[in-house]
Amino acid sequence: MALLNYPSLYWLFLKNRIKILMEYRMNFLIGATSTIMIQGAGLLTVWVIMSQIPDLNGWTLPQVLLIYGLITLSKSINHMFADNLWTLGRDYVRTGAFDRFMVRPVDPLFHLLADRFCHDGIGNFLVGGVLVAIAAARLGIVWTPGVIVYFAVMVLSGGVIFIALNLMTCVSAFWIMDSVPVTRVVFEMHEFAKYPLSIYPRAIGLLLTWAIPFGFASYFPATRLMGLETPLWQAYGAPLVAAVLLAVALAVWRFGLRHYGSTGT
Amino acid sequence: MIEAVNLTKVYHIPDKDPGVRGAVKALFRPRHTSKTAVKDVSFAIEPGEIVGYIGVNGAGKSTTIKMLTGILVPTGGQVRVLGRDPHRERVANARDIGVVFGQRSQLWWDLALRESLTMVGRIYEVDDARFQRLISEFSETLELKELLPIPIRNMSLGQKMRAELAATLIHEPRIVYLDEPTIGLDLLVKERIRAFIKRINQEKGTTVVLTTHDLGDIEELCRRVLIIDNGVLIYDGSLETIKQRFGKYREITFETAADLNGLDVPTGADVLEKGGRTLSLRFDRTQTSASRVSASIMSQIEVIDLSLKEPDLSMVVKQIYQGGLKETA
Repeated sequence: MALLNYPSLYWLFLKNRIKILMEYRMNFLIGATSTIMIQGAGLLTVWVIMSQIPDLNGWTLPQVLLIYGLITLSKSINHMFADNLWTLGRDYVRTGAFDRFMVRPVDPLFHLLADRFCHDGIGNFLVGGVLVAIAAARLGIVWTPGVIVYFAVMVLSGGVIFIALNLMTCVSAFWIMDSVPVTRVVFEMHEFAKYPLSIYPRAIGLLLTWAIPFGFASYFPATRLMGLETPLWQAYGAPLVAAVLLAVALAVWRFGLRHYGSTGT
Repeated sequence: MIEAVNLTKVYHIPDKDPGVRGAVKALFRPRHTSKTAVKDVSFAIEPGEIVGYIGVNGAGKSTTIKMLTGILVPTGGQVRVLGRDPHRERVANARDIGVVFGQRSQLWWDLALRESLTMVGRIYEVDDARFQRLISEFSETLELKELLPIPIRNMSLGQKMRAELAATLIHEPRIVYLDEPTIGLDLLVKERIRAFIKRINQEKGTTVVLTTHDLGDIEELCRRVLIIDNGVLIYDGSLETIKQRFGKYREITFETAADLNGLDVPTGADVLEKGGRTLSLRFDRTQTSASRVSASIMSQIEVIDLSLKEPDLSMVVKQIYQGGLKETA
């Protein structure tokens, strides 16, 4: 299929997905409620901690909330558009449904992602947006066009970092069927990135910068937005990191796909 | 149109001892067993043919189909579909083929058939005019109209298969692979599905490769069959030959009121199995008849129950294998 036709095909998948969701309205409501409650519990923890200790190693509540909000936004992009990567092993490889993608004239990865837009991510996106808005107001960040563009690029790059890491790890499904444990180990590292990296031992900071670079999706752009002194590579590195990571992830995916073709199931 | 030369597929299956210890051991020192699923299979299928590809479970049917459709890469040998390598030119190949995987649906469970078909049509980039033409064509040939507003989850098995066929043929592929298209369907629905397959083959010249357990499918549709057993192609030839050779036999089983001993076997029949109060005979339909065989037995002993069986596929395969019927074209 020509590259140009993919967006409209995605739109068709999305419309039908929404149609299905509307049919199961109760599921939709329960999903939305649980997302909000999970986010609420996470935020409550932050608030309780921060109200006991007025600053966290020199960081104030609004500053922490900005970092927290940024990573929540990036994560929600992954959650909305790439959640199906989690189920590659269980729902597609093991059941043989993946064979169907292989006999259709579209890219199998596109098909996998388009197959299920995850609406639960919308709730996370809204929560992240509200957090950033509150934090920015408290920190006196002015939303000039430049800041808005910077912010948008950082959130999108962060989303790509999440998707690339999940993609890289989900490929293990082509060997071990259930890829969820592998994906989870890497994915859960983003929990660290909800807080300033400077509060952690050096090793964790390095890990989240160079190996599992969630730092580029939260801490680094946040310090830049706060007007703190931020090295250039930290402030503007996210798009490059995201691009490199995505290229690697796609190569890993193609390698996995070749393996699938030579083993079958 | 489809050409396989010495097609071979070897799987590497991890060896595991039972229990947790075995699992841990396999993690650190993995061992593999090689299993040859398909071995040196060669055949050529011409445009417009309907070929039955048969064999018992695990004989290598699905593996062959997966190699022909580009899902699997052969370990050895070559496959060409319309002159292409189906795996390396996967997308181009996919445009020209349609696949029905008997048990697995390609449609969206919760969507009305009309919407599912629209999605499939868009995936294959079928333009609107052609799409409408095919829908109205299928409305007639598959009686699809009544199914269009129904979600797949509410369909019966037979309705699902009709929907599945429509989805598979919406881009008018030149080749269709049908993996068990009539499995689990009742006789009437089977007939309709077969008639439809025959029709697209005759009207559009679609080449059909059919795997099935149902000899009725084969008899109704195929002039040529390929039989695979243990990964090896043991027969490639006309259905007629098989029918002449094996189709004339029937199996009849009696359950008797008293113990069997010293019974005269009617002419034209052989004993297959004889136990306490059951007797299985095989008879040649061209030499005798079911009524003559059963009358002869009934005149000798009281029969409580009897059943008649047509030769099934596994029996045919076994006999071909043993008899070494050599007619590889």
